[in-house]
Amino acid sequence: MSGMFPGFLILSAALFSIGAVGVLVRRNPLVVFMSIELMLNAANLALITYARYTHTMAGQVFALFVIAVAASEVVVGLALITGVYRSGRRLDLDELSEMSE
Amino acid sequence: MNPTLILVLATIVLGLPTAGFLVNALSAGRLPKKVVAWIGPGVVLGAFVATLVIFVAMLERPANDRGITVVLWHWLNTSVASAGGVSAQAGFNANFSLRIDPLAVLMMLVITGIGGIIHVYSVGYVADDPSFNRFFAYMNLFITSMLVLVMSNSLVFLIIGWSMVAFASYALIAFWYERKSAVQAGRKAFITQVIGDVGLYLGAFLIFLNLRGPNGQLLHTVDLQTIFANVGPGSHFHGGLGPVGGGLVTTIGILLFIGAAAKSAQWPLHTWLPDAMEGPTPVSALIHAATMVTAGVYLVARFHPIYQQAPVAAGVVACVGIGTAFMAGVIGCTQYDIKRVIAYSTMSQIGLMIFAVGVGAYSAGMFQLFTHACFKALLFLAAGNVIHAMHDDQDIRVMGGLSRRMKWTFVCFTVGALALSGIPIFAGFFSKEELLSNGLALGPAVPWLWVIGVSVNVLTSFYIFRVVWVAFRGEPRSDHAQQAHEAPPVMLIPVAVLAGLATVVGFLNIDFAGFAPITVFSSFLQPVLGVPRATPSDLVGGLALLVGVILSVGGVGIVWAVYGRGVISRELIPQRLPWLYQLSFNKFYWDEIYALAFYRPVGAAARFVRRAVEPDVIDGAVGGIRDAVATLADDFRTFQTGFLKDYALVFFFFALVGLVVLGLKLT
Repeated sequence: MSGMFPGFLILSAALFSIGAVGVLVRRNPLVVFMSIELMLNAANLALITYARYTHTMAGQVFALFVIAVAASEVVVGLALITGVYRSGRRLDLDELSEMSE
Repeated sequence: MNPTLILVLATIVLGLPTAGFLVNALSAGRLPKKVVAWIGPGVVLGAFVATLVIFVAMLERPANDRGITVVLWHWLNTSVASAGGVSAQAGFNANFSLRIDPLAVLMMLVITGIGGIIHVYSVGYVADDPSFNRFFAYMNLFITSMLVLVMSNSLVFLIIGWSMVAFASYALIAFWYERKSAVQAGRKAFITQVIGDVGLYLGAFLIFLNLRGPNGQLLHTVDLQTIFANVGPGSHFHGGLGPVGGGLVTTIGILLFIGAAAKSAQWPLHTWLPDAMEGPTPVSALIHAATMVTAGVYLVARFHPIYQQAPVAAGVVACVGIGTAFMAGVIGCTQYDIKRVIAYSTMSQIGLMIFAVGVGAYSAGMFQLFTHACFKALLFLAAGNVIHAMHDDQDIRVMGGLSRRMKWTFVCFTVGALALSGIPIFAGFFSKEELLSNGLALGPAVPWLWVIGVSVNVLTSFYIFRVVWVAFRGEPRSDHAQQAHEAPPVMLIPVAVLAGLATVVGFLNIDFAGFAPITVFSSFLQPVLGVPRATPSDLVGGLALLVGVILSVGGVGIVWAVYGRGVISRELIPQRLPWLYQLSFNKFYWDEIYALAFYRPVGAAARFVRRAVEPDVIDGAVGGIRDAVATLADDFRTFQTGFLKDYALVFFFFALVGLVVLGLKLT
């Protein structure tokens, strides 16, 4: 099991990087959202890996918290996306830039 | 006296009016008038009964063991009890402790007794007012505040009571807030009180900071008994507040007296009292005659150990008192507003009390306070009946002939006038003559102060009997006076009770066993206030008494000659001494002087600042800051593109930088 340790971490780092690139380059908010979820779960994977490796519970507890936070975040985020869609605008992050004005 | 019993009783005395205030205030007019009319006076009379029980319990004790200190609650206590190897350490505390001693009980009896009678009277006086419950809420609050003031054994709570009293007085003077003059009078009274408060606060701070114990250590205490024990005679060598007559103790005495002067309407902080007559008449009787304005006398009497160490400050007190007494007496002779005449007479009588406590005749001053509370409340309430019958007209020129239509009110008012003038057998005779003859024996510049004081007698009986004659005798001079009717029983009975008191309380000062200097009344107060330092010899005292009575009767005689028989023309003074008449009629121009000295310059300065300073300096500074922020913001807002990706990129970039830095640090 401990031999797998670097492998899990590398997988976690890879998932995180994929997610990060997704957040940076995609324009569809839904996809950006999925990328964020990917990053969160990459972090979860790292947390659990360390938890197993050090034989402590803290990492697992953190992972549970992350799942809970991610769930609530999805609720808020999806509500926003639906709201924008309902207002009859295109779901394109580059066009949703009123905050700068 | 069982401390627990006293604690319970004192809690009742303080708690009942507080509860009355809370109920009347928080019910916000939802309680029927009938209930309020029971609660308002009921709580005060209940407090009076509890005070009587304390009084009786006190009388059962030997005379030198009648003071007791009880702690209502502990507050801000920093002392450390010895426990677990830590040694005990005395610290600061501001406990709400009460001092129940003869002086406090006397004040409590006056406040709750006279106050209770006035509360009953008020039920009739404000019966038609829509703010019935507000009136009783304020009145109960006033009683509570005044009780806190006189019962407190701590500088902190003394000051709290002192300031609460000022607020209650403000609220009651401005009770009819639709009237602009009432609101202005309330404001004037409150501002004057606050000026006085500053003096009291500074005096209290100086005591707190400088008082030293017998070994010369700083005590830092607010406990009044500790303070008095350490400033008293004998302790001045090591501790106290410095040597007798030293600068510190003199400063403290004068600062405390500034507070007392504002509360007691003494020159130069006296101008608020006549204006305070804008309030309802029971308020004038309760606050501006019987209780609040005498708080200054109480303060000086309570702090007498300090004044005994500060002869100069005590001299200032005496001179201000006698000067105010004379000045107010002169003003009272020419006023036409029935309540203002009585207000100036209050100022004058309190001047005499202040004089007495200034020269060290403490129990004489307190006795005058006690009798004055009875007969002045009587005069105000009787005047209230008149004003009620006259449909709120207070000008004695439009009255006349009221003695036929308001027989009982006339009789009571006359009793009050006799008591005030100091005609023998009535209360004022005993108190005023004792006060003046004590002053004669004790005063620093004895004869002159006594001459001024005794000449106030003739002024007093002149102005009060002038009111009696002009308002009650002769022919009615207006329709209201023609149709005046006697007051209802709820307003007449309290007046009659006070008239009875004003007739008999003076006898408390007679020692039936002989003409010893210590009498029933002063022997009651003696454990707190000490014996008078000196009394005049029988011959001098007797002569002084004779002169005083002759002058008082002379004042009545002058009124009779001027207004009764017309032997002396009314125009004599206005024509022969017009300046004197104008000076008196215009109240010595103090309002005008203050307007010229303070109001006008401050107003002019304010207008100048508005015109010259505000546009450039204030507005310039505010506008400049605004412009600077806007410019800076314009620079920063270019960072805010609105593109989520930009933000995310920046975020990831710095997260990466953070990681790299962290990694470098770890390796």
